[in-house]
Amino acid sequence: MILAVCIDDRNGMLFNGRRQSQDRVLREDLVREAGGGPLWMNAYSARQFDPPPEGLRTAEDFLEQAGPGEVCFLETEDPAAWADRAEGLIVYRWNRKYPAGLYCTIDLSAWKLERREEFAGSSHEKITKEVYKR
Amino acid sequence: MKIWKQRAIAALLVLVCLVSTGCTEIGLSPPQEAMTSVSSVEYVPDFSGEPYVFIGNSKPDFENTTTNSYETYAPLDELGRCGTAEACVGIDLMPTEERGSIGSVKPSGWQSAKYDCVDGKYLYNRCHLIGYQLSGENANKQNLITGTRYMNVEGMLPFENLVADYVKETENHVMYRVTPHFVGQELVARGVIMEALSVEDAGEGVCFSVYVYNCQPGVAIDYATGESRLDGEASGGGEAVSYVLNTSSKKFHDPACSNAASISKGNRQEWTGVREDLVSQGYSPCGQCKP
Repeated sequence: MILAVCIDDRNGMLFNGRRQSQDRVLREDLVREAGGGPLWMNAYSARQFDPPPEGLRTAEDFLEQAGPGEVCFLETEDPAAWADRAEGLIVYRWNRKYPAGLYCTIDLSAWKLERREEFAGSSHEKITKEVYKR
Repeated sequence: MKIWKQRAIAALLVLVCLVSTGCTEIGLSPPQEAMTSVSSVEYVPDFSGEPYVFIGNSKPDFENTTTNSYETYAPLDELGRCGTAEACVGIDLMPTEERGSIGSVKPSGWQSAKYDCVDGKYLYNRCHLIGYQLSGENANKQNLITGTRYMNVEGMLPFENLVADYVKETENHVMYRVTPHFVGQELVARGVIMEALSVEDAGEGVCFSVYVYNCQPGVAIDYATGESRLDGEASGGGEAVSYVLNTSSKKFHDPACSNAASISKGNRQEWTGVREDLVSQGYSPCGQCKP
């Protein structure tokens, strides 16, 4: 599976049980990354995708269900616990500082950066996307 | 009441709990870091490295909500101090031009003080209660307090960013209130209470109530006057202690802490030195082991 996460300047993901931020342009990019294949997430994440894109798969245990090469959008859990099973990572950086209670603790130095892109979001001046492979 | 009794009661009321939703119950998995939550402002503990603590289980207390944007500012009191600033933040309230000068305003307790240990040198900022990015208010003396650089940048700004980006993205409204906390006749606030609640989704997007400390690691502040000095311990007088650092999350741990054991190799660093030096480098203590 490919783990996709959004993080702020301090690797934060969630604050007070809520995502730190969201952006519709980022969501469109994530759907493109899934390439029409399954895009897995839990119900909390799926509520942002309205209307749901083709390929959206919703399950609370989606990390268990996802197969090789399938993209998993993870907002409510530290992806580090699943990193051993992942073939790749997609890291979106907000380039902003938000309050956080949940952090992404994946050691990115153990991964190979394949590409980095920057784009303007719908409400964020600059979002950085980094795609990593083992 | 004897001080030890007051402290015992305060300790009972300081609930170190996992973050829970105070508004709409979303039912997400628990976070990694335990957060301190107190029932009300009088039980806020001394600053210990985190820029804020939760108040009232992080549930804001708005009697009424609306989807009509507004902003109100309390008049200055007899000591020239700000009171509560409240807004319903909508996209129509947000600025459309660059921020103007606010240097003409001298908030209560204002002093010009510079320290090498402070980001940008200047200890104090003219700190907006309702941030410019939310309301577009410039030199409004009812909206500016004497705030440390640390409170402004590490404490308040991340919350303002969260609210501003939510409103810009969703075009929903957020009830937003900031109340400075002054003790007695002091001219500089000890901190600010920040509350926010997203309206259209009943808090699913934004919901918090926090106390943000108006302090600066490494600097001692006289809140009565705003005068300040370098903290003696921060200048090298403290005792050297060993910690385990998470260089990613910028947390430090007791070496025996279970959270320290789970830090990945690339983010783990053994460190020995004075605690205040770590805090001044931007590290904060683990909420579980409280080193």
